[in-house]
Amino acid sequence: MNQSVIIPMVSVRNVGKRFGAMQALADINLDVAAGEVVSLIGPSGSGKTTLLRCMNFLEAYDEGEVSIRGALLGYRNTANGTRERESERGIAEVRARVAMVFQQFNLWPHMTSLANVMAPLTLAKGMKPEQARQIANAALDRVGMSDKADSLPAKLSGGQQQRVGIARALAVSPEVLLLDEPTSALDPELVEEVLEVIQSLSGDGMTMVMVTHEMSFAAEVSDRIVFMEKGRIVTVGTPQDIIYQPVHPRLKSFLQPWIRRSLDGKAIGMESPSPRFNDQIIKEYNNVD
Amino acid sequence: MDASLFVKFLPAFGLAALHTMELSMLALAGGLLLGFAMNAMRETGPRWLKPVYWFYTGVWRGVPFLVHLFISYFGLTAIGLTLDPFEAATLALVLYGGAYFSEIFRACWQSIPVGQVEAASAMGLSRRQIFTRIQAPQALRMSVPLIANQTIILVKESSIASIITYPELTFTTTKIVSETYVYIEPYLMLALSYWLLTLTISRVGRAVNRALSP
Repeated sequence: MNQSVIIPMVSVRNVGKRFGAMQALADINLDVAAGEVVSLIGPSGSGKTTLLRCMNFLEAYDEGEVSIRGALLGYRNTANGTRERESERGIAEVRARVAMVFQQFNLWPHMTSLANVMAPLTLAKGMKPEQARQIANAALDRVGMSDKADSLPAKLSGGQQQRVGIARALAVSPEVLLLDEPTSALDPELVEEVLEVIQSLSGDGMTMVMVTHEMSFAAEVSDRIVFMEKGRIVTVGTPQDIIYQPVHPRLKSFLQPWIRRSLDGKAIGMESPSPRFNDQIIKEYNNVD
Repeated sequence: MDASLFVKFLPAFGLAALHTMELSMLALAGGLLLGFAMNAMRETGPRWLKPVYWFYTGVWRGVPFLVHLFISYFGLTAIGLTLDPFEAATLALVLYGGAYFSEIFRACWQSIPVGQVEAASAMGLSRRQIFTRIQAPQALRMSVPLIANQTIILVKESSIASIITYPELTFTTTKIVSETYVYIEPYLMLALSYWLLTLTISRVGRAVNRALSP
């Protein structure tokens, strides 16, 4: 194996982060390989979103190191062994290889879909408008939003806005895509269209780290799932280990309400809130218990 | 009431209104530039410059305009800077208005949801690009009604320049009253003049606002 293949796309080493007296992250270690899809799950306040935001330095971590394909993110080591905050330009350079999709979409409301996708290309990457337009159109096409290229975000549904948000992230050809609860702000009937886009990205080999509450989807799309609580990683494993055959008692109790909902939906013969993989869930849980 | 007096005083009031407008519009232009620059500095400048913003907006909004006017007209001579009434009034009103315009721009800039700024930052836009491309187009549109309102306040505040003998509307009225011993007609004309000026400003503000609305 070639050495460069082994360098993880995202490497998190002993990372800690405080908000005042609150230890938001403690001793986090996680490697994400190229092409891997990793989901972060856990109760609210567990630090999963903070960890994700440390991966593009939207949140400055206090301890440890986050590297994007070997390049330290956010800090610069100085001659006397300490480190200082990297310059804005230096941070922007590493960030250019990481793109993010936000829970609240965070589209720029005064720009059309196309302009939203083009802006990072022309402004951050200095691309010529014609070239940027071509790439942006391709990205919108990729998420099925070409026909809304000239619409302002306010004219789009939540699901459509999020798909534009994904197109904006894809257009910069990131090496890693970070997704922060991409479907949490959506009406239930709009969730599926966004999940389909994310699933097709994973099919294309996109490296992704995703914070999510969609357990079935996480199980379906992830290579590994990380369960966090109180700023620490409790357990990491395959979807099989984490979702279908959880061993850790805290993980089991975290998943319990979701399992009950899924099974209830199945029992009364309706499409439950999480229609994906119900059969498998039921089978697995029947086997376990 | 003698209607013929209105006609008699009209030329004097017309000239005085021009002086009031001249002073107010200079204060508007200068104040907007100063306020915009202050806010841009606060948003995109180095951290150590930020106290300048807070000192300026704090002191200039915290002291009555009359005091500013006295300092620029009487006080500055002490350091060898002697200004005529027009210059002193313009300087004081620009600085006074600038402090309020700074705060108007700050409020509008800070009302842009933080998520939009984070998204821009995460997509690699620089602080300056975020200011000009993401925040400014939205914040400037929001600021129009507030600027119109502040301009109305500036026009009314300019009446205080009468105290240092700048011949604007209020000074002219006082002069007419003391020379003719007529009270009702000149003061009625004074009130009417300010009202017409400020009405015009709010109409213009509304038109600009409508033109900028999507």
